[in-house]
Amino acid sequence: MVALELQDVRRHFGGVKAVDGVSFQVPAGKVTGLIGPNGSGKSTLVNLIAGVLGLTSGEVRLHGEAISTETADAVARRGVARTFQNIRLLPEASVLDNVMIGFYRLERSSLLASLLGLPSSRRETRELRERGRALLARFDMSAYEHVPAGGLAYGFQRRVEMMRAVASNPAVLLLDEPVAGMNDVEASALGGIFARLAEDGMAVLVIEHNTRFVAELCEEVHVLDSGRLIANDTPQEVMRDPAVVAAYLGT
Amino acid sequence: MIDFLKANQPVFDFFLLTLGFAYSQQIVLRCGVFSLASAAFAALGAYCCAILVVNLGLPPLMAIPLGAVLGGAAGYLVSVPLARLRGVYQAIATLALVEVVVAITLYAEPLTGGAVGFNNIPKHVGTVEIALAVAVVIYLLHALSISRIGRGFDALRQDEYVAASLGVSSRGQHTLAFIVSGLIGGLFGGLQSMYAYSVEPHQYGFSFMVTTLAAIILGGRRSLLGPVIGSAVVILLPEISRPLAEYRMVVVGVVMVLVVLYTPQGLGDTFLSWLSHRRASKQAPPPAKPLAADARTTKSKGDTYGRA
Amino acid sequence: MLAQQILNGLISGAIYALFALGFNLIFGVQKVLNLAHGAIFMSGAFIAYYAVEGGLPFWLALLIAMVVCGIASVLIDRFGFQKLRKYSQMDAEFGALVISIGIGQILTSMAQKLSQTKVLSFPFDTFPVEFFRGLGMRISLLQITIAAMVVVLVVFLALFLQRTTFGRQVRAVAINPRASALLGINARSVFMLTFFIAGAMAALAGVMIGLSFNSIQFMMGEPYMLKAFVVVVLGGLGNLGGAVAASLLLGVGQALCAAYLPPGLSDILIFTTLFVVLIFKPNGLFGGALAPAGVGRQ
Repeated sequence: MVALELQDVRRHFGGVKAVDGVSFQVPAGKVTGLIGPNGSGKSTLVNLIAGVLGLTSGEVRLHGEAISTETADAVARRGVARTFQNIRLLPEASVLDNVMIGFYRLERSSLLASLLGLPSSRRETRELRERGRALLARFDMSAYEHVPAGGLAYGFQRRVEMMRAVASNPAVLLLDEPVAGMNDVEASALGGIFARLAEDGMAVLVIEHNTRFVAELCEEVHVLDSGRLIANDTPQEVMRDPAVVAAYLGT
Repeated sequence: MIDFLKANQPVFDFFLLTLGFAYSQQIVLRCGVFSLASAAFAALGAYCCAILVVNLGLPPLMAIPLGAVLGGAAGYLVSVPLARLRGVYQAIATLALVEVVVAITLYAEPLTGGAVGFNNIPKHVGTVEIALAVAVVIYLLHALSISRIGRGFDALRQDEYVAASLGVSSRGQHTLAFIVSGLIGGLFGGLQSMYAYSVEPHQYGFSFMVTTLAAIILGGRRSLLGPVIGSAVVILLPEISRPLAEYRMVVVGVVMVLVVLYTPQGLGDTFLSWLSHRRASKQAPPPAKPLAADARTTKSKGDTYGRA
Repeated sequence: MLAQQILNGLISGAIYALFALGFNLIFGVQKVLNLAHGAIFMSGAFIAYYAVEGGLPFWLALLIAMVVCGIASVLIDRFGFQKLRKYSQMDAEFGALVISIGIGQILTSMAQKLSQTKVLSFPFDTFPVEFFRGLGMRISLLQITIAAMVVVLVVFLALFLQRTTFGRQVRAVAINPRASALLGINARSVFMLTFFIAGAMAALAGVMIGLSFNSIQFMMGEPYMLKAFVVVVLGGLGNLGGAVAASLLLGVGQALCAAYLPPGLSDILIFTTLFVVLIFKPNGLFGGALAPAGVGRQ
């Protein structure tokens, strides 16, 4: 089943064609990779899908419905989660608080219940706290529950960001350079998590520089260069594609 | 002892009123909106109440809530144009708004009494009523803080883009914050007019803005304890340093500078985060374990992928 | 008559420019709203007053006031704003605001004590009172002097920022402090200079106002702070040319309102205009630093 579909997506900044007619699909239940040299438009593409940037033309569809003009928060509420290239945690908040905000789009308490502190609102908060703690346990972060997120080591911050992104069981997970700066062991472990998430039904799109990581993890890889897709195939085929090699060497 | 309390009651009352205004100021800052409009909401509430009670003979029990509602409506109206601004620009826009309100209250003499102010308002409100109002506001704000709205506000304040990526609508939440700020500001403006016998335009001008903002920054932008401490500092400090006679405001200024330099997050917030740091360090984290490769997130009951 | 109003308006606009330029300069370079600026303005007037009372010639008193206020401004930065640099951006922003409020409070209270809350005025013979007539209008020597001073200062400032190396450094720091540091620009000295210039100009404005209206009192800075906000926004935050243009517009606008409209209406108009401009053109009428937008799709 196709979760996310891009159709002829373009984004121009004045004369610069950052994304120039990109079309591909991100199916549910699989990990899809998107690679490309620096400046190829990967980040722009993520921002176009996530609702941060507007499309010059083209469509982005989620489960068949167009989301091309929806704001970032609306896109998120539909079940598209993303991580950021530079980790953006809420620095003042504790690890648990950071994870709990990941549940935001699931919360059902009405305005009135929240304002008046009605039992339904309190109960939901309690339940979410428990779910947050469970998530922390699965990621081996229980000990850091009360630690302010800003003070954690880089690897741990990545974990918190991951927990936050998957907390609400999104349909689509956009990972923007998730293993940057990690060693092979750490990256491999994280990759295992992505694979499990896909097995559970999520549509995972990994935008990465680390081509080996992508090759080990993804079933299908798309290659972006200067705003256009120049290849899409299995990782093995893509790595052998002369156009891809040229694009990477040329930078 | 009773004499001491009786003698200082006006100061305490003023402290409570300032606390109310401080909460009105804080709720918008809490969600990342740099609005100084509380002064305008207070002015609207105060004059509305005075006019309704004195000119139209409404009972205060009706007039005060109406003042609050007027403040809330103004908050909603203000939120619309201010949605496109951020940071300092919001601050200046709301400052302009406050000055417009001051100028209008000066100008609309037949209605408001002009520069002389609205005088001879019978006193309907005392310490008990104000304290009650403060207690109610604290309860409501506390409930808000621990709810999803409070979480959304905190996220918006710290990083608007991250909050958006998690589904928090800045437009909606900012509007909510403005409305709540307006309701609280209007409420305490109304209470003040029913307490202080008179209202005058400059009461809710630049000085008011400066005082409430200082109370929040000194006490803390995040916690509910913050405004309590901040208001206490701003109101009580001049009283305590009264023996220093004409230099007491100099002392206030010096204390403000020192507090900010050493506790930039505010006395209240700094204290509370010190407490939670102690709690966190007591559970000293064990050495780092590599991430278990099959850590899953399993679906919880009731969740579905996609639209939740 | 209309021409006379416009002329008077231009002169008061020139004074607004003096005040607002310094304020805008600090904001442009340091991104700080220095709410103590009004107190510095007032202090300049006070210092000059006491100097003249002490027997010094007016020009010397003026110079002393400008230098002292320039230094005071630098000290405020050095011991106030700079100390906040190590904190997070939001804490530093709010902290700077409160520090400037606190310092403004200190200065105002000291002035209040010193003057015993009385309104002071310069001795009558401080500045020659002479009028010139021409083209159906009347202008005083003081007004000519003010206009001349402001023109000279603005031209100097413009040349300084555009043509000199140090001026370029100031502009670089305003645009991107971190990159400038990497390029070896000493941000510290840039800050010192901008604060000095701002303080000196505010003092000059204060003295001129004190002379023009024949009154000096400890609260005289407050209305100017508000006008400075108007000017700075209309002209564009950080846009100095825009600030000058907006100041003149404001001065003329106010004079016309005072002449032709019932009293009290002018403030309503001015601040409503400010509000409206902010909503539709937050970059100011003449374009300035980009106002950060919300999170709609960019």
